Amino acid sequence: MNTSSSRNPKELVDRYLQAVRFWAPKPQEDLIAELGEDLRSQIEAKEADLGRPLDQGEVSAILKACGMPMVVASRLGPKRYLIGPALYPIYKFVLKMVLLWILVPVFLFIVGPTNVVNSKGDWGLAVLNTFGNLWTGLFVAAGVITLVFAILERTSAHAAIECKWDPLTLPPLQKQERKPSLIKTVCELGFGVFGLIWLLLVPHYPVLILGPAASFLKAGSLWHTFYVPVLLLGVFGLLRSGMILARPQWTWLPTLSQLLQTALTLVVLSFMIQAVGQPSHGTWAPFVALADTAKQSAEYIKVAAIVNASILLSLAGTWLGLCIAGVIQTWEFMRYVRKRRSSAPQTASLPAQ
Amino acid sequence: MKNHLTNYTVYRTVYVTYYMANGTYSAEILENLKLELRRGCLIVAVLAQLRTEQYGYTLRKALADDGLAIDEGTLYPLLRRLETQGLLVSQWREEEKRNKRFYRLSPAGEQTLALLLEEWQNINTSLSKILQEA
Repeated sequence: MNTSSSRNPKELVDRYLQAVRFWAPKPQEDLIAELGEDLRSQIEAKEADLGRPLDQGEVSAILKACGMPMVVASRLGPKRYLIGPALYPIYKFVLKMVLLWILVPVFLFIVGPTNVVNSKGDWGLAVLNTFGNLWTGLFVAAGVITLVFAILERTSAHAAIECKWDPLTLPPLQKQERKPSLIKTVCELGFGVFGLIWLLLVPHYPVLILGPAASFLKAGSLWHTFYVPVLLLGVFGLLRSGMILARPQWTWLPTLSQLLQTALTLVVLSFMIQAVGQPSHGTWAPFVALADTAKQSAEYIKVAAIVNASILLSLAGTWLGLCIAGVIQTWEFMRYVRKRRSSAPQTASLPAQ
Repeated sequence: MKNHLTNYTVYRTVYVTYYMANGTYSAEILENLKLELRRGCLIVAVLAQLRTEQYGYTLRKALADDGLAIDEGTLYPLLRRLETQGLLVSQWREEEKRNKRFYRLSPAGEQTLALLLEEWQNINTSLSKILQEA
């Protein structure tokens, strides 16, 4: 049960001081001794008021009012930052640049395709490996960058940078123009990545495009010819979204790149539609053909013909739609150019606060 | 007696709810601002109290009795800093069978206190002017 209350206060205070000593950044014996003396004086004063020794609960209340040992210990040493307020904005910027704008594109456009090419057909595993390596790479890069900035903070390197700052080297004023929506661009990028992965997997997993019909249909001759151009269009779309995200101040980029993308897609579609009219080996099977293992049944032939005709009609409709879109985008781009030329050189005003 | 919701009741309820929601937030901001104001005065208060020799606990108690409470975790590092800056001198002595560290102002500390009090007066004068103009 209870040990004598005259022993408990001292033991509890000693345990408290032991915990503070554990968490203190460096040996602070004299400060801890003073803290201990203060606590004992408080206990004495309270005991004198009450006319009796304090019990464990009352001593505990005094220690609780003093504060958690870890928190008290943190105040004993000098204030230290891993990365201080001067360097933190630069650290955040470098982290964002390296992780989002260097590492992710390198893995998606260099490491990923390399893994896919070396995978000897097992594309799914190659894609998974790429994402796994990307995850590890992100953590390692973040760790290295944090370590470098922690060293810079410790060596007070930022003080030298602050002394060398010159107002004359500040970047020129940017005009306040409407920037593209961030959410829209991020969504385009995200869906673009998924679309590209899907395109890369389709040749080895036809079920992704043909569904259950993959059991008796296969890709026609036209897909083999136009697969790479379609893939390149997808990559172009990704690069476009990435550039818009990286450079939102380039207000000419969304309009011009959209127009370029439409033009390139129209070119590819035109060639595809032109190539459709040239039957190969006497059969008309530009987009889908009967699989080698499928029976030569009239029903399957009919299905293949319907699918080919549907795809051709869709491509024609898309071509028409893109023609209209191309006209509208050309007009928008011309309007943008006229607006830029007609706006007289003026000082850009700061946004109202 | 009829119990019905009058316009007055509705308006008062909305007002009280709004005040409670915004009042609590304002009280927290006010407490933080008060803390910052007190923090600025702490060094002058500590130096002024140490015109007479004291040890940590009695210093803390004297400050609290005069309305400027300070916790242990803040006071002792502050005393150490002032001593490092040469404004205080300290000495361990045994009193009532316990070792206690006694502090008092050094000559440099007395000079600094005089200058800080002058600065304090100047700030008070400036503030009075600003408040009068407002």
